[in-house]
Amino acid sequence: MTQNEVPIIELKNINKHFGDLHVLKDISLKVNKGEVVVIIGPSGSGKSTLCRTINRLETIDSGQILLEGVPIPEEGRQLAELRSKIGMVFQAFNLFSHMTIIDNMTLAPVDVLKMPRREAREEAMKLLERVGVADQAKKVPAQLSGGQQQRAAIARALAMHPKVMLFDEPTSALDPEMIGEVLNVMTELASDGMTMLIVTHEMNFARHVADRVIFMDSGSIVEQADPEAFFSNPQTERAKIFLESITRN
Amino acid sequence: MSKTPSIRDMLYEEPGPKTKKQIRVITLFAILLLAALLAVVIRQFYITGQFAPRYWYFFGRWTTWRFLGQGLLVTLEAAVTGSIIAFLLGFVLMRGKLQKNKIIRGASVCLIEFTRGVPTLLFIYFFFLVVPQTGWKLSAFWKITLPCAISACGVVAEALRSGVNAVPKGQSEAALSLGLTKTRTFYKVVFPQAIRFVIPSLIAELVIVLKDTTFAYIVTCADLMQNAKVLISNYDAMLSVYLVVALIYILINYLLNKLSDRLADRLKQNPAERSAA
Amino acid sequence: MTISALLSQYGDRYLLALVTTWKLTVLSFLGAFAIGIIITVLRVCPIKPLRAFGDFYVQIFRNIPGAALLILLVYALPYLNIVFPYNTCVLIATILIPSAFCSEHLMSGINTISPGQIEAARALGLSFFQMIRRVIIPQALRSSVLPMTNLLVATMLTTSLASQVPMRPLELTGIVSYINTRAAGGVMAFVISAVLYCASAVIIGFAGSLIDRKVRIQR
Repeated sequence: MTQNEVPIIELKNINKHFGDLHVLKDISLKVNKGEVVVIIGPSGSGKSTLCRTINRLETIDSGQILLEGVPIPEEGRQLAELRSKIGMVFQAFNLFSHMTIIDNMTLAPVDVLKMPRREAREEAMKLLERVGVADQAKKVPAQLSGGQQQRAAIARALAMHPKVMLFDEPTSALDPEMIGEVLNVMTELASDGMTMLIVTHEMNFARHVADRVIFMDSGSIVEQADPEAFFSNPQTERAKIFLESITRN
Repeated sequence: MSKTPSIRDMLYEEPGPKTKKQIRVITLFAILLLAALLAVVIRQFYITGQFAPRYWYFFGRWTTWRFLGQGLLVTLEAAVTGSIIAFLLGFVLMRGKLQKNKIIRGASVCLIEFTRGVPTLLFIYFFFLVVPQTGWKLSAFWKITLPCAISACGVVAEALRSGVNAVPKGQSEAALSLGLTKTRTFYKVVFPQAIRFVIPSLIAELVIVLKDTTFAYIVTCADLMQNAKVLISNYDAMLSVYLVVALIYILINYLLNKLSDRLADRLKQNPAERSAA
Repeated sequence: MTISALLSQYGDRYLLALVTTWKLTVLSFLGAFAIGIIITVLRVCPIKPLRAFGDFYVQIFRNIPGAALLILLVYALPYLNIVFPYNTCVLIATILIPSAFCSEHLMSGINTISPGQIEAARALGLSFFQMIRRVIIPQALRSSVLPMTNLLVATMLTTSLASQVPMRPLELTGIVSYINTRAAGGVMAFVISAVLYCASAVIIGFAGSLIDRKVRIQR
């Protein structure tokens, strides 16, 4: 990656408060094309909030968020259009419970991208194939296991051809035996060159898949490093304590 | 109504500057529109002379309120008595519906569906027109209270049943395994827990009974509505008296519903309470 | 009177009464549903005064006794120079009261939707109205089938208010007092009306649970 290339996502001095609580403190961050950035940190450190500011599911009090060098719009059609270019995967899957999986997949491509229904369906089936839940296409979300739902949710986001994928703790709501299947899909996605920003507690995944690890604590970015360096030799005291507390469990 | 953030606010995201401005403009228009509506109503009162003191001065009198209060007391008495009877009947029907015996169960189901499917007014006319024909002499109070109670008992039975069903199975299994009889298990373990779930809907049912008692004028029972009629003929003030009386009903029912919502919220917010007791 | 005597003498009237009750029920329900939707839109819109108005409307008509509302419409409104025929007064009352409950049911239908699904719709780039149309309304409607069934039955019971004014044709409650003031119709006159009411309620309930089973959303 070259130095003068425009980053896909750039955050400049982001601040956010929830009432008296200063949840994001002057955060600056760049994510380049093809990069996989993993954000870790204790719960309540603001990492989820940070992830959600990028498509304005959370508003910010000050600072700037740029997508490919352009500030993200604040409202209206432009905001919707921006969001359609950013894929998002939630902790609780958030598949539409009244629709079958295939309808979940085609809703936004047809309604937002104005794709012909047939084309959208064909592509959706290919994506479901890719994440391994094609045989569940006609079922409604409640009939699927958590792992299957999350894989379908990833496929739903991919159907919009996003420039970047945001993952907000994608495995935190899953039973242990299902975490692996979701992480596998994400690993594959990373090796295909997708730009990804991932908030997670899965340290092994971070270590092996991330290009860069960001450690957040109480609203600030405390440390940024490549995963090997971070996990084997954290520079800050807070990161050391955090990593120790995790390995102990 | 509850303190948990409602979906009402989730539907919208934090507005951007343009949206904020639009909201401000539309809000202003809405206020003007509502004000205009109010103005039309007030104007109608004004041009028809309904603001004239002769329609309102007697509300400044203590005796007026005492008289209305007496009527209200009868209304509340009928509503509470009716609700208690409805609760007892409903309890019997609920027990009947949960019996193994097919005949008892079938009869209970039929009675529940019957009382739920027939309007209160029909029961009132039954007590007003048919019961006297049988020679059974009832006071006006009972002629309104009994039909309201009967009309409500099916709904109460269903509410109680859903409460009983909401008690986790483990509770009765635990009691039975301790050697309690089925009956004791029901009265000592299941029902005390069930009743807490259904208190909100029982209060809501009280509101329905209270509303039904307004038909007391049919049997000339001196409730709030009937006393209002007396006031009207004394002062020749139809509109003002009926408006005030309607507001009294609305206020009481509103407060009862509020109480019911509050209790329901507390039950929802404190799931730990469910397994307690 | 025996049932056969009643039916031979008043059979046609009962049939007409049943049809009248049904007609009044359907008309009231449709009106209540339309107003209920409008009021619900006001209650969830971001304009505070309209929200407050919607809440106010619901509290008034949810809490006013039917008799009180009908009496206001029939006897008090003429003092404001607003005079409706009896039939209209009945219809207004039997629309306004269920409309408040309709809005309450729709609100709780909306409340069953998880906020996460709204966020997902946003994140996919759906506009506000696309989200309302594709996510909110289908889910709210599908989860309010049973409440709406109950509302339809409740509306039918509310139409008995018509017996309190000289409305023609008579409906199922009115006909009972009509027969009983004319001749001692006795218990049977009631039983016929009650059975017709009940049968209607059972049919409505059955149809409702059938539809509900078809469209219910698994969670």
